[in-house]
Amino acid sequence: MSTNLINANPTVYNTKTFSREETEAELDDDIEDPIDADEVFDLIRSISDPEHPLTLEQLNVTQNQHINVNNSKNQILIEFTPTIPHCSMATLIGLCIRVRLLRSLPERYKVDIRVRQGTHQSEGAVNKQLNDKERVAAALENNHLLEVVNQCLATANLRGREVTSH
Amino acid sequence: MPRLELLATLEGHQDRVWQASWHPTKTILATCSGDKTVRLWTPASHNDFTQWQCIDTLEGAHKRTVRSVAWSPTGNEMATASFDATTGIWEHDAREKDWECVATLEGHENEIKSVAWSSTGALLATCSRDKSVWIWEVESDNDFECLSVLQEHTQDVKMVAWHPKQEVLASASYDDTIKIWKEDEDDWYCADTLQGHSSTVWSIDFNADGDHIVSGSDDQTLRIWKMYSPNNAEGIATPNGEAVWKTVCTLSGMHDRCVYSVSWSKVHNHIASASGDNSLRIFEKDEENLDGNAPTWSSVATINDAHGVHDINCVSWFPNETHGDWLASVGDDGMVRIWRLVQDD
Repeated sequence: MSTNLINANPTVYNTKTFSREETEAELDDDIEDPIDADEVFDLIRSISDPEHPLTLEQLNVTQNQHINVNNSKNQILIEFTPTIPHCSMATLIGLCIRVRLLRSLPERYKVDIRVRQGTHQSEGAVNKQLNDKERVAAALENNHLLEVVNQCLATANLRGREVTSH
Repeated sequence: MPRLELLATLEGHQDRVWQASWHPTKTILATCSGDKTVRLWTPASHNDFTQWQCIDTLEGAHKRTVRSVAWSPTGNEMATASFDATTGIWEHDAREKDWECVATLEGHENEIKSVAWSSTGALLATCSRDKSVWIWEVESDNDFECLSVLQEHTQDVKMVAWHPKQEVLASASYDDTIKIWKEDEDDWYCADTLQGHSSTVWSIDFNADGDHIVSGSDDQTLRIWKMYSPNNAEGIATPNGEAVWKTVCTLSGMHDRCVYSVSWSKVHNHIASASGDNSLRIFEKDEENLDGNAPTWSSVATINDAHGVHDINCVSWFPNETHGDWLASVGDDGMVRIWRLVQDD
């Protein structure tokens, strides 16, 4: 492993702690199931970290208790935790979460993505950039950046399942 | 109380629409989009304003999103600002009856966010994520000379707007400020910095006389700023012998998310705002309040979900008496809507 990684030895967390229970109501097609925090977490838990072959869940970057879904207001707030307070990948990780949700959630949701308070030294700047839709749009027209984002999102559909060996 | 009535919905853009700009004299609306084109729209007939058609699509000149479109004061030319870091100048070819890109202005390091012509058409301003504002002189034969590169904003510059009568420019930025730029013997300088918003200022517009500005911000408020010239009757200090701008009214609690656009009607003085909370609002000045230094404004009409569940990116009043009651809005849904302000008795 190269030595110039931002965080060379991150703590890896057990991912078995969360599995989404299907309730009887969910199996009944006649009952509408609103999107909840668990479902949003399921969408983003398996996004890959930009520099480690690990998921955001394994690095504890995203946790379901840090996701808030308000269905009456169509608002979702996601707070994520960079692995280290000076992580220069924080904006990219936030962008990956945003793109994943842009592609998978109904259009009615307004999604706010923030780093958890006190977990990043440039918290204000990262939050501002991630929630400026014009800058997000411009970033996604940058082919190089889009490729990096797509790479991180390639594992997102695993939704918590283990990566099978290559 | 006045209300807004939907006149028409214009469908055609293939991506989010960023801005709408009315022709200075004719009933033509230009809109620009993430689909890299500008579309021109006009009513299908002179007596039915509910049916509109797309009369032209300007494409091929920009490789990325067209973020901003502006008509020259004569309406014979158009400028387009793109994320591809260039500004396109378009001219109408009367014989071919189409628009042609006759010049491309280069120089900005990255995305251009806004373009605007001065009231005489002699100057053009552009601004960019590279934190700079450029002032261009319009010469003959589609030649544009860069007069000045203004680099005092510390962040991404979102919008530029010219004073309606004078060669005075205002710019709004991600650094939360608005700056006023003036010329002194070919040298452009920052004459004032307007501080007060607590997040990105997305949009600014002057009133008809040019002595007030309305601004809309990510802090979910609108602010109305008044200009105080040296030796003003109110005794407001003007330390550098320059006019200073002060917030005289803050409209908060009106929008639940970012205010992306404001438009101040030069015809009937109403202010329109558009937001990421999906609503359009119209504000009216309370005429009973005679204190010009603390005016009050009221929200008199609201359209919730004006573009369905989508953000509204721009609102724009028709510029003259002909259809002064028309308001155009554009959104992330790719739609363009024309509204009419109806005064009920």
